Amino acid sequence: MPLLAALAVALCTTMVLVTWSVMGGFLDMLLDSGRNLIGDVAITWPNSGFAYYDELGQMLQDDEMVQAWAPMIETFGLISLPDGRRETVMVKGIQGPSYARVTNYKDTLYWQPLDKPLRTDPHSEDWRLTHHDLWENRYEQGLSLTEPRIDRMGQLVADEPAVVLGIELSGFNIRKAGGWYMPGVPRKFNADGTEEAVDVFMPNSRITLTVLPLDDKGRNIDVTARAFPVANEFRTGLYDLDKNVVLIRLDALQNMLKLHEAQRVIKVDADMPGTELQPESFDQPGEVLTKDPARVTAVIVRAVDGFDAITLKARCREIYAKFEARHQGDVPAQTAIIMSTWEDQNRTMISAVKKETALVLTLFSFISLTAVMLIVVIFWVMVAEKTRDIGVIRALGASKTGIASIWLIYGLCIGLVGSAMGGILSYTIVTNINPIHEWMGNALGITIWDPSVYYFSSIPNQMDAFHAAIVLVGGVLASVVGAALPSLRAANLDPVRALRFE
Amino acid sequence: MSQSPIIHAKDIHKTYRLGRVDVPVLRGASLSVNTGEWVSILGASGSGKSTLLHLLGGLDRCDRKPAGSIAFQGTELVRLSAGAMNRYRSRSVGFVFQFYHLLPELTVLENVLAGAMVRHSFGYLSLKKAMVSRAGELLEVFGLSERLKHRPAELSGGERQRVAIARALINEPDILLADEPTGNLDTLTGNAILDELAKVRSSRGLTLIMVTHDIATARRGDRLVELIDGVVGEQSPLVT
Ligand SMILES: Nc1ncnc2c1ncn2[C@@H]1O[C@H](COP(=O)(O)OP(=O)(O)OP(=O)(O)O)[C@@H](O)[C@H]1O
Ligand SMILES: [Mg+2]
Repeated sequence: MPLLAALAVALCTTMVLVTWSVMGGFLDMLLDSGRNLIGDVAITWPNSGFAYYDELGQMLQDDEMVQAWAPMIETFGLISLPDGRRETVMVKGIQGPSYARVTNYKDTLYWQPLDKPLRTDPHSEDWRLTHHDLWENRYEQGLSLTEPRIDRMGQLVADEPAVVLGIELSGFNIRKAGGWYMPGVPRKFNADGTEEAVDVFMPNSRITLTVLPLDDKGRNIDVTARAFPVANEFRTGLYDLDKNVVLIRLDALQNMLKLHEAQRVIKVDADMPGTELQPESFDQPGEVLTKDPARVTAVIVRAVDGFDAITLKARCREIYAKFEARHQGDVPAQTAIIMSTWEDQNRTMISAVKKETALVLTLFSFISLTAVMLIVVIFWVMVAEKTRDIGVIRALGASKTGIASIWLIYGLCIGLVGSAMGGILSYTIVTNINPIHEWMGNALGITIWDPSVYYFSSIPNQMDAFHAAIVLVGGVLASVVGAALPSLRAANLDPVRALRFE
Repeated sequence: MSQSPIIHAKDIHKTYRLGRVDVPVLRGASLSVNTGEWVSILGASGSGKSTLLHLLGGLDRCDRKPAGSIAFQGTELVRLSAGAMNRYRSRSVGFVFQFYHLLPELTVLENVLAGAMVRHSFGYLSLKKAMVSRAGELLEVFGLSERLKHRPAELSGGERQRVAIARALINEPDILLADEPTGNLDTLTGNAILDELAKVRSSRGLTLIMVTHDIATARRGDRLVELIDGVVGEQSPLVT
């Protein structure tokens, strides 16, 4: 009986604590991941982008709040995979090193040497554990988004820009139960109904990327397609990104989108300075070569530790205002440029998750009231069973308060035992939730956490000590409250009747 | 034996209410017991013997009207507060019941110590050593030194009753109230226990009030009273 009561407490605390850990962890991951993926603040001007970003970057860098900055281009594109499939993708042009200073790009590069196996890989099956040099090479190429082009004779022809794909994008990587990836051998279906196996390891193959340069009104200028080697793949853990994003070296994308630095030839009339002449007359004297500056659609900024994204956003606005003053008319106005934190960009989703967490916790706490009721019933029965013993103890001189406190302490003990069991159980579940979920999927065919719905490819598996304390103390209190009513009954038993009880 | 009454009950009434029906059990019973005396209360089943014992032991209160009086060493029990009544039960009296009423989850030693725990509550922790040795001595008197760690279920009826007596004596009460202490035992064991009770009583100067419906058992006392129709009837001294 008392074990049953403790079990009820354990199950309820586990239910609430596991939910809170997963949902709360999901929220934390949502909030944290922003910082790791785009830094703290993004300054964006889509489509045509803005110029002089190096100067803006320098101004930002000089500020005490700014840890690092990186230029970036974001656009849409189409990718052709080695098996002939085409996927629409989000294309991000980046400079590897600067991008790595703002984000955790280095950690997300998937193909890099691994010194010791993942905790979930007891047999050391992960490819990355062997061939250290090979992976080191891949890592460097991924970081610089550059791959050497070797001709048939084995001679280095040139370094060429490369792309880095999200690990889930190609569909050629198979996620193992332990959480690591291995290239699989997918099937390719031909038009005539036959199928063949395609054996591809993405970083050894090439893809073709098609992008649409747009003018500042968003009109398409021209379609550009170009083949790139795949330098590496990345895994952020954010399924959306891992499934849809292609990273490419910034200068290559600038070229394709016609956002690169271009020489413009301007003929200045010697008599009338400031007047541009038509290009037909360029061979004549007096011509001047000017540069059309390169442009990017975004600059992302990371704050020095200790400053939050909102403070940094305000500071970025001030800096941008100074920047605009220097290039009046040539860059988007300070009032128009878009400045956003990660939370700004995902506001609907984040607030929805916050509300949902609160809702589910409230519901489960109500459900936990049934556990309190269960304790009331169990204690009521136990008091009834022990009626005669209660009479005996009263005959020995115990007061009503004494009797009540015996039962309350009993309730407290059951709460402590139940909460402790619940704490251990939920800690075990939460820290092993991904293997458990994997097993459920394999053995029972139940998949609750669909990465395409929940954004992250793994379930949050951290337990917050503060949350745990609240829930476990709550479990103990609930047990004491549940024991209170039966304790009162025990205290008010007539000792003479209790002694006659059989 | 001293002739001053340790407890003096006069004209006490006790009526139980069963729904709307009043069931009068005691109707003006009076009893005076001297310090160190052994009184046997004899009576038919249902005559109110246990009821009288519970009233004397402060486990229940007698009717307010008509008002009776129970005085223990001059103190009126009727006027005691609930807390004082609890103290009276734990310090001045010890109960022994027909069906032993040991706590089944506790060992023999713990059962004996239970009385001390109830009396001292938190103070028990500092007295634990003394109490354990006192309980050990008591159990030795009753020949149970080897059974300290046993549960009541592992003991014979006679052994259980000896544990119950040891428990009643742990707080060194002035009066031992025994409700048919041998009622559930064979004559041989019953007599052995009565012998031990007699020994303990004389060595400790204990007052003993014993309820029984067995005349032979009742004769073991100094004095025998009979409860008939809710009043204490014929009183006969047994020691000649
Ligand atoms: N709580 C109660 N409510 C109503 N009647 C009661 C209650 N307790 C006892 N009685 C009645 O009081 C009468 C006396 O009971 P009591 O137990 O004192 O008798 P007894 O002399 O000890 O009997 P026995 O020898 O069988 O133990 C009985 O008729 C009993 O039914
Ligand atoms: Mg009786």
